[in-house]
Amino acid sequence: MAKKTTDVLVDPLINNNPIALQILGICSALAVTTKMETSLVMSLAVIAVTAFSNLAVSAIRHFIPSSIRIIVQMTVIASLVIVVDQILKAYMYDISKQLSVFVGLIITNCIVMGRAEGFAMKNGPWVSFLDGIGNGMGYGLVLMFVAFFRELFGSGSLFGIELLPLDRNGGWYNPNNLMLLPPSAFFLIGFLIWAIRAYKPDQIEEA
Amino acid sequence: MQQRDSLGYTLGVAAVLCVACSLAVSTAAVSLRGRQEANVKLDQQKNILDATGLAIGEYGVQANELTTKQIDTLNAYVSSKLVDLETGAYDGDGDPEKYNLVEEAANPETSIPIESPTFNPGEPRRPKVMKVYFVKKPGTDKILQVVLPVYGKGLWGTLYGYLALKSDLETIQGLTFYQHKETPGLGGEVDNPRWKAMWDGRKLYDEETGQPKAMVFKGPAPKTDEYAVDGLSGATITSRGVTNLIRYWASDDGYGTYLSKLKEEINDDKSSASEGDK
Amino acid sequence: MKALRDVLDKVHPLFAKGGILEAAYPMYEALDTFLYTPGEVASGKTHVRDGIDLKRMMITVVMALVPVTLFGMWNVGYQANSAIQKMEAVGIDHVGDWHYTIYNAIGFTNDPGNIAANLVLGAIFFIPIYAVCMFVGGHVELVFSVLRGHEINEGFLVTGLLFPLTLPASIPLWQVALGIAFGVIVAKEVFGGTGRNFLNVALTSRAFLYFAYAGQISGDKIWTAVDGFSGATALGQMANAQAQDGVANPAVQSLGSVMYLWGEGSITWMSTFLGTIQGCVGETSTLLCIVGAGILIATGIGSWKIMAAVVAGVIGTTLLMNGVAVISPDSVAANPMLGVPFYWHLTIGGLAFGLVFMATDPVSASMTDNGKWFYGALIGFMTVLIRVVNPAFPEGIMLAILFGNVFAPLIDYYVVQANVSSRRKRYATT
Repeated sequence: MAKKTTDVLVDPLINNNPIALQILGICSALAVTTKMETSLVMSLAVIAVTAFSNLAVSAIRHFIPSSIRIIVQMTVIASLVIVVDQILKAYMYDISKQLSVFVGLIITNCIVMGRAEGFAMKNGPWVSFLDGIGNGMGYGLVLMFVAFFRELFGSGSLFGIELLPLDRNGGWYNPNNLMLLPPSAFFLIGFLIWAIRAYKPDQIEEA
Repeated sequence: MQQRDSLGYTLGVAAVLCVACSLAVSTAAVSLRGRQEANVKLDQQKNILDATGLAIGEYGVQANELTTKQIDTLNAYVSSKLVDLETGAYDGDGDPEKYNLVEEAANPETSIPIESPTFNPGEPRRPKVMKVYFVKKPGTDKILQVVLPVYGKGLWGTLYGYLALKSDLETIQGLTFYQHKETPGLGGEVDNPRWKAMWDGRKLYDEETGQPKAMVFKGPAPKTDEYAVDGLSGATITSRGVTNLIRYWASDDGYGTYLSKLKEEINDDKSSASEGDK
Repeated sequence: MKALRDVLDKVHPLFAKGGILEAAYPMYEALDTFLYTPGEVASGKTHVRDGIDLKRMMITVVMALVPVTLFGMWNVGYQANSAIQKMEAVGIDHVGDWHYTIYNAIGFTNDPGNIAANLVLGAIFFIPIYAVCMFVGGHVELVFSVLRGHEINEGFLVTGLLFPLTLPASIPLWQVALGIAFGVIVAKEVFGGTGRNFLNVALTSRAFLYFAYAGQISGDKIWTAVDGFSGATALGQMANAQAQDGVANPAVQSLGSVMYLWGEGSITWMSTFLGTIQGCVGETSTLLCIVGAGILIATGIGSWKIMAAVVAGVIGTTLLMNGVAVISPDSVAANPMLGVPFYWHLTIGGLAFGLVFMATDPVSASMTDNGKWFYGALIGFMTVLIRVVNPAFPEGIMLAILFGNVFAPLIDYYVVQANVSSRRKRYATT
């Protein structure tokens, strides 16, 4: 169990990425990635929730009766998500409107629950906190990757700044509308997993 | 260790956790409520400002990019009243601040079914009372624009928006949708500022028959056509939906009665004002 | 010929295992087997004797496509030339792009009555699309073959011809390249290459373009390769028909007055059957699709069961829709497509082309005999459902076939299971 703290933080980025390797949390990765801006805020929200829920669950792990431990974890996660949602609504209203229900749906994001049950229940608060940040960042990394291609090719811009002038606005770039539809995130995540596994063949599952 | 599985202990932990979590959640909700409500209101104001073109006119940018202070300045132009669509009279009883379009339309007591309208917006009901907005120069009574909330079916769901009319009540100032589910890149182009700008100056009613005639054309609109804007390419059904909803709300099934009444008022004001000048 | 053989034999060691050009073996192999019958014979104990192999199968499909392709090229030219002639008659000038520069340089004029002229103009539009498709798709395939050490095979010859035939002649060439690259990679190479794709490659490419660049592959402006032209296809016209009082079938009625740039025109059932209407290059002529179907069935390559099942599915579902229309006339007012009879459904749009050449694709269709009936009927059912009920997509055959492709393995599984359990009952040995 003596994992190095840096490993806990860095491992989930590529080696053990929650989306690319474990294929968890795909739902919101499809829904919020049409723009870099929304993806970034979503990533930050997930990082915050995973980190603090790990911290809280780990801190009280010796007091949790095993018969209700899943419920306890859910309650902690749900409370955190509601708090994050409230903060977004108060301070980043426009983005929270675009994210709509998907902030609330972080509750059901398997990554958060998975880390709380799989890691925080067995490790100390500090390591669990870092693990939460690491996994949240692993999730965020994939989100940003997908959003980069979707916004660039679908809307010709990045973070709302126009890079490829659209033909309908008098420019030359004919945007790829598929990129604005959720299935494109499936293809992009698929290509990403393909690339990662071509680079690291040990991630390939046995058939 | 065995203690941890006893019933009393389990219930105790659950109770403590519930209290702690509900405290955290309610603290966040209560302390942030003011800000959130201000945000919702601000958002609606921005949409109205977009429809009126005030933001572009005064500051040269979309309402979204204005500072809160600039929005406050512009908001001094905007006031609102409730209107009974059947009679065209103002409804003095209701509080415009508390009016919620979606709730009113869903409640059978405050709405009527839309049955065999001349132009079909594709919606089952409409509220009896609608909240309309006026744009006036602060401190004066002269109406510069009237902003009418409108809604109707597009391809995948209902489009909610504001239709702003110039003071003659026959020319469109702007049209903006604040909520819709149209396909991004196709019907979703109702949000494109270039497309929205085309509405400015379109005539709402046919000059001869007086019937609503403004429309989204199929394909690029002819330059000579005073009533039409370009169609949204690849979005026939959204385009048709927008045409239908504008015409429905402009017709006597919608704001027609109210608008003719308001027009008389404005004309009366004008003549009495000019008499007063003499 | 002997000399060519000698050259090939001479360079063979270079490409064989251990040779300096080993990596490029698939290229050598492709050229060799394309030119000559392979010298190798199967070894091992089990060996089925049959004259047919993948190559012959694919070449037969290509041959079945020849009539459709030739007619398609003529029709592209015919539609364009007629449109230009009619536009000029009402005083609308036509400024042609580079296609027309070439066309006029050869010395042809816009005369729709001249068969050769139509064919040449169609070819000027179609051949670049075909060439881009073959070049890009072929190279994608080549790269994967080299990387994976596979042999290149003829599967792409068919895909590379089917895909351009499902496109409008006015499609930008870069989209053709992007579409075929996406289709070959995502539908085929990801799953291991020819014979392992569970989706039809040409249709996947087309679906990609359909959702990515809807403006260039659907709508009114693209079907006839004339700049500034606008006119609905039969399906588009029907889908947008408005209900009128006293008209029993407004969708079909509306075909009598289709608005074009130069005024009103009409689309008759016979023209949709013969194919003298606008549409994708290969899809317009139902008659020639039937000829293609005949070739495929006679040679045993296309499954008549699938074709019959699709037709049955279309007819059955259409009758159901017509039934709804009879019971509640109001629903026809809201959705004129409900009243369209099946003989129209079978000739308009890409249904005939899709059911003959795409649905029967042996790799992505159901394998079991009983499964083919279910598979075909499902496609027919979905096609009509999408055409009639879905407001966003006037045509349904492309999505219906892809849908059928996805379900084909499941259908096969249940057919096999049913077979297993019925046999078990028959020879009950408990």
